[in-house]
Amino acid sequence: MLARITGCVALITTLCLCVAVNSDDAGQEAKRNRESKTFDDTIALLLSRRCLDCHNATDKKGGLDLSSKAAMLKGGDSGAALTPGRLGDSLLWERITDGDMPPKAPLAADEKRLLSAWITSGAKWGTDPIDRFRVTTSNRAGYDWWSLKPLRRPEIPDATSNGPDDWQQNPIDAFVLAKLRKQKLTPSASADKRTLIRRLSFDLVGLPPTPEDIDAFLADKSPGAYERLVDRLLASPHYGERWARHWLDIVRFGESQGFERDKLRPNSWRYRDWVTAAFNDDLPYDEFARRQLAGDVLNPDDPSAAIATGFLVAGPYDEVGQSQQSAAMRAVVRQDELEDVVSVVGQTFLGLTINCARCHDHKFDPVLQSEYYQLTAALGGVRHGERNIGSAATSAASSNFASALQARIDSLNRQNAQLEEAARKQLLAEQRGKPRPKVTVPEPIARWTFDGNLNDAIGKLHGTSHGKAKVKAGRLHTDGKSGYVTTVPIDRDISSRTLEAWVKLDSLDQRGGGVVSLQTLDGSVFDAIVFGEQTPRRWLPGSSGFQRTQQFGGTDETTANNGVVHVAIVYRANGTITGYRNGRPYGKSYKSNGPVTFKKGQAQLLFGLRHMPPGGNRFLAAEIDKVHLYDRALTPAQIAASAGVSYDSIDTESLLAKLRPVAKQLREQRLFEIARLESQRIRAQATRSYAVVPRTPEPAFLLKRGNPVLKGRVVTPGGVAAVVGVDADFALAADSPDADRRIALARWLSDRKNPLFARVIVNRLWHYHFGIGLVETPSDFGFNGARPTHPLLIDHLAGELIRSDWSLKALQRAIVLSATYRQASRSNSDAEKIDAGNRLLWQKSPVRLEAEVLRDTILTVAGELNPALAGPGYEDFTTFSRNSQFYQPVDAIGQSFHRRSLYRTWVRSGRNRFLDVFDCPDPSTKTPRRAVTTTPLQALALLNNSFVLRMADRLADRLQREAGDDPKQQVERAYVLAYGRSATPDERRLTTRFVKQHGLPAFCRVIFNSNEFLHVD
Amino acid sequence: MNQPIDRRNFLSFASAGIGSVALTSLLMRDGTLQAAAVPSEANDPPPHHPPRASKVIHITLTGGLSQVDSFDHKPDLEKLHGKPLGGDERPDVFFGKVGLLRKSDWAFKQRGESGLWVSDLFKNLAGVADELTVIKSMYAETSNHTPATFQENTGFRLNGFPVLGSWMSYGLGSETDDLPAYVVIPDTRGLPAGGSINWTNGFLPAQHQGVTFRSQGVAIDDLFPARAIPPNTETATRDLLAALNKQHLARRDSSDVLAARIRSYELAAKMQLAVPEVTNLDTETKATHAMYGLDNEETVEFGRGCLLARRLLERGVRFVQLFAGGAFGSPRINWDGHEDMRRNHGREAGRIDLPIAGLIRDLRSRGLLDETLLLFTSEFGRTPFTQSNAGQLGTGRDHNQYGFSVWLAGAGLRHGMSYGETDSVGMKAIENRVHWNDLHATVLHLLGIDHQRLTFYHNGIQRRLTNVHGDVIKDVLT
Repeated sequence: MLARITGCVALITTLCLCVAVNSDDAGQEAKRNRESKTFDDTIALLLSRRCLDCHNATDKKGGLDLSSKAAMLKGGDSGAALTPGRLGDSLLWERITDGDMPPKAPLAADEKRLLSAWITSGAKWGTDPIDRFRVTTSNRAGYDWWSLKPLRRPEIPDATSNGPDDWQQNPIDAFVLAKLRKQKLTPSASADKRTLIRRLSFDLVGLPPTPEDIDAFLADKSPGAYERLVDRLLASPHYGERWARHWLDIVRFGESQGFERDKLRPNSWRYRDWVTAAFNDDLPYDEFARRQLAGDVLNPDDPSAAIATGFLVAGPYDEVGQSQQSAAMRAVVRQDELEDVVSVVGQTFLGLTINCARCHDHKFDPVLQSEYYQLTAALGGVRHGERNIGSAATSAASSNFASALQARIDSLNRQNAQLEEAARKQLLAEQRGKPRPKVTVPEPIARWTFDGNLNDAIGKLHGTSHGKAKVKAGRLHTDGKSGYVTTVPIDRDISSRTLEAWVKLDSLDQRGGGVVSLQTLDGSVFDAIVFGEQTPRRWLPGSSGFQRTQQFGGTDETTANNGVVHVAIVYRANGTITGYRNGRPYGKSYKSNGPVTFKKGQAQLLFGLRHMPPGGNRFLAAEIDKVHLYDRALTPAQIAASAGVSYDSIDTESLLAKLRPVAKQLREQRLFEIARLESQRIRAQATRSYAVVPRTPEPAFLLKRGNPVLKGRVVTPGGVAAVVGVDADFALAADSPDADRRIALARWLSDRKNPLFARVIVNRLWHYHFGIGLVETPSDFGFNGARPTHPLLIDHLAGELIRSDWSLKALQRAIVLSATYRQASRSNSDAEKIDAGNRLLWQKSPVRLEAEVLRDTILTVAGELNPALAGPGYEDFTTFSRNSQFYQPVDAIGQSFHRRSLYRTWVRSGRNRFLDVFDCPDPSTKTPRRAVTTTPLQALALLNNSFVLRMADRLADRLQREAGDDPKQQVERAYVLAYGRSATPDERRLTTRFVKQHGLPAFCRVIFNSNEFLHVD
Repeated sequence: MNQPIDRRNFLSFASAGIGSVALTSLLMRDGTLQAAAVPSEANDPPPHHPPRASKVIHITLTGGLSQVDSFDHKPDLEKLHGKPLGGDERPDVFFGKVGLLRKSDWAFKQRGESGLWVSDLFKNLAGVADELTVIKSMYAETSNHTPATFQENTGFRLNGFPVLGSWMSYGLGSETDDLPAYVVIPDTRGLPAGGSINWTNGFLPAQHQGVTFRSQGVAIDDLFPARAIPPNTETATRDLLAALNKQHLARRDSSDVLAARIRSYELAAKMQLAVPEVTNLDTETKATHAMYGLDNEETVEFGRGCLLARRLLERGVRFVQLFAGGAFGSPRINWDGHEDMRRNHGREAGRIDLPIAGLIRDLRSRGLLDETLLLFTSEFGRTPFTQSNAGQLGTGRDHNQYGFSVWLAGAGLRHGMSYGETDSVGMKAIENRVHWNDLHATVLHLLGIDHQRLTFYHNGIQRRLTNVHGDVIKDVLT
């Protein structure tokens, strides 16, 4: 307050001087310049601070705008606000002296004097209109806001006088110590080596140290042991996994579309792997940012450079909204999408919530609404999509993933075959005794073999080709886009029947094409053999309106793209529908409300099309080798004979009946794992990535109140002027190409003169090392965000980052080598009285393991972690489609699900319950800082969840294996594995007794639930 | 008998995981086990003014309930049946097809003493019409199911915002610590599109996420060990865990976080008692079962949900959300009557009409309706014309964001009234229009919350359920 008054007195003096020099006869020009400057330095600032928050060009309370001379003269609802030279006739002055304005805090006497002097002396104006963002007010930030000021290179405080010895080396410690001293706080002593290796290990790689790592570190008494440990961990490939997860939180990374359909994004894992690799390779941070914004256009010759742009489109996508009929509503959806992109760019790289300026100027930060739209213009070419990334960069890795997955699939299949073998033999032996009826396959009523034509080889049901359907080398080729075949009408009634086809599919990813369809001539009623319609990769008995359709529940198709498979559907007179694949039953038959009788002359067959009219997903891309139509329901034996396979009646049901429940369960588990692995194998091979697929940007308008209907002026691509030091004008035309826009944006953001860019990332690193940032709100450095506890330290770190050419690893190394970081976690009631939140860092605050780290640690300690790096994520859910995609979380058992949680497929609606209760964020929410809650649901999950119980068993096995039968040794091993230390005598006594009474698995369950397991000092 | 139960004994009893319902309910009734309240987490904790209701049941109809077939009586529509929609403006509807106007497939009558119009679609609800406060002038910002549902629940069209129930849990806490504050009972036929996105805590802390309860079978996940564990082992496990945690804590002098985690295991044990007890509907009388339709195949599924909802409220749960309807697509299991309104709405209403009427009567007779707010909403309404080619009279109706009806019941409301009007055919809200933000503001108001003061900081903004809008609908309040 005192400072403000002093400032004002100084201003009044300046003003008086101004008045004084009026008598000088020097050039009018110079005089005007002086007056203008005086206005800018005094009255403009006063108005900005006290009046303009409510009376500006876009927000005119009482119709009054005081930001320009003309507007002030014009006044508001109550008339002109100002009569230059006449204080008494100026409404502005009247309202101020009445005490009405400003409403909450009236002007101080000196402010009033300043204003009255200005009005009396003729109200000379300066820069017009006033840029009200020049100063911070009590309501909002201006250009002088702390985070917008240019980076300083602060002097390192002197830590030598009465600072501990180990606080003398690292400048970080000097900054921290200076603050501690001001509060008369002293830092804590260094933590012991066991604590340090556990802390470092979780921080840098997200996994506990192995007993061997701990022993080696304890044994290494030479200087530099700690530094070497840090370097080893920073070089570990697990470092990238750990830090990628942090980044994915910030950028709202999800692997499905969200909204109604929530379709899987099978290839967005490539972005996750790109982030992981970027951290591991220590890609300079400015380049890291540029590639995520414009990798594709910065490196147009490298198709894989587009992967990084997955950042821009990692958020949800409203597929239904984008395709709705109403153009007006589509425009709203597109604007919502742009807001998502602008917000993630602004918050991630600038800590600025630019998105808050979509409907009006930012209420709290110096961001104009027009600047928001400049950014929508800069990002106007961004569209969601799948992008071909070329095979060069990915083929080797992809085929490695695929073959590793295939190896696991083969092994599981072998294990299941072994498991079934005895039962199978037994069943065959039982059958051998019984006489087997001779099977003859009845003659179909029509047969097409496509030997150079579309003729029926038996009757007269000849076919006609449409679109690009053609016969080649004895097969009918349909292209999935336009080609299909119709036959002439069928010359008899058809009720119970069999459709049979031999077909090779072009791709297993296609959804909804018909192989052969029996339909009424207009297509309104049909029954067809359909591929992948409701569920990907499954054969389906398609029917009009799904009226006779149910899922067979057969296995996913895996080979029909490599060779011809035989598929048949039998429709019985009682409505039963049965599917067959390669002569064997496909899933289960079921009762429908059919069969429909297709009347003579009113029905026909289609090949390559689900039903008429042609269009949409009804086309099949395939080669059809042969088709049979029977006017009767074939028996299983007849189908087997027709398919040329031996008919043994070992169907799944009788096989299962022979298996013990445990074996059955195991078989099911493996089948589930095989199905998920198949899905991943296919995902591994696709040379696509979910990324920006740019389109020519539409013209960007300033939209009044954010409403796409209320178009204002056209805006050109640009940034935010408040980021001083870098030019917010990109000098691009309104119709400039997408590439120029995103490149300009990337350069603007990552410019080393942009103070926010460096400040925000150093604070994020600090946040993840200490559990809380120097700024508590890592994605908001604006007025609503938290103030920095150590502003000079932030600038020091930012400067160091830039000087190291943006090496994140170098900066992290400096942080973890600091004495500040190495402090012990010890409560101190005196210190707590002064600084309960430990914001001044008088100790190292303990942290609870994050959800993923907790799961990974349980796996590691149990000896079950599958350390495979990269590739498509594991799928711990079943999928089914009911118009929308549904993900049903399952208790997934098997080694391939034991990968680090980073590799979970992060679908939006199929969240993992166990991870969720431990504060794993909603993938649709940008989460720069996770909540840390303690709830009874966490206790229930850790005590009772089948995953935890299973891992307790595995840990028990491991203890037995590694420590033998002595409970004392077992307990000791458990303590070292889980806590990195020996048990105390008291603990040993308690736990050994427990193990003897209740067994090892129960003890391991206690370990996983213990506070020491969940918290890191 | 009334000797207080020693906590240690209680825990070991609980930890055995015995579903000894009889004893438990006895304990509960005796008040021997008084559940503690969970305080609000809001930074400006309510009440901001005296609350009229303390708990909420939100019945969410997915798919879009037709207002002109249920609560918005339009005599003109009867007259104009089979005629084209007048005026120059061609309505911008989801599937773009504007067929001929179609009158309600159900007869409208004035009901009860209030004379509130309710159609025969809801014959049983009609019997409690005097308890209802119908708002006929709702409008939404989109006619796309999922964004509209997001807005219905969160105030925003986008993914990632907290839902009403989560805000309530955050703002008001819970009256009990042995049940979650916010419980979701999905439709037994399937989850709504988006699944758990519909009860997300968004950016609020995880404990405010809705916890789904099944109205049949094991009510919540991980309540008991995934495989059988002998009771004595279970007891010993808790004891050992407590002992180890205590030593760990002692080595650190003090820590609120560690102490809270120890306490969370005690609460978990209480939940193991409370959940089986509350979900055991067998203890209710035959008459109650009948009142909720548990004796009828058509109504039993939703009826169980309604009865469970009442039992949850009685035991201190703050907010129960019941979904009437699952995902979109074919066959339809929700209110999305594009093809055939009679079949679709007839079937859907048949499932829920009697149970909801039973719920209202039951709450009233138990004196609970005075402290409970009931919400009955749908993400949008349906068009008064059919979804068919111009000039054709079809049997289905398209989505309608421009005007639709919801109702409220319970504490603090003027009952047996309707508020707002749509145009003569029930297409657009024209009088006293109500946006979701307004409805949410009103709901919060009834619970003693100023919607402008219930905030949570997230990425630059003190976020509100009502964004930067919302006016309390004063005219429906007593």
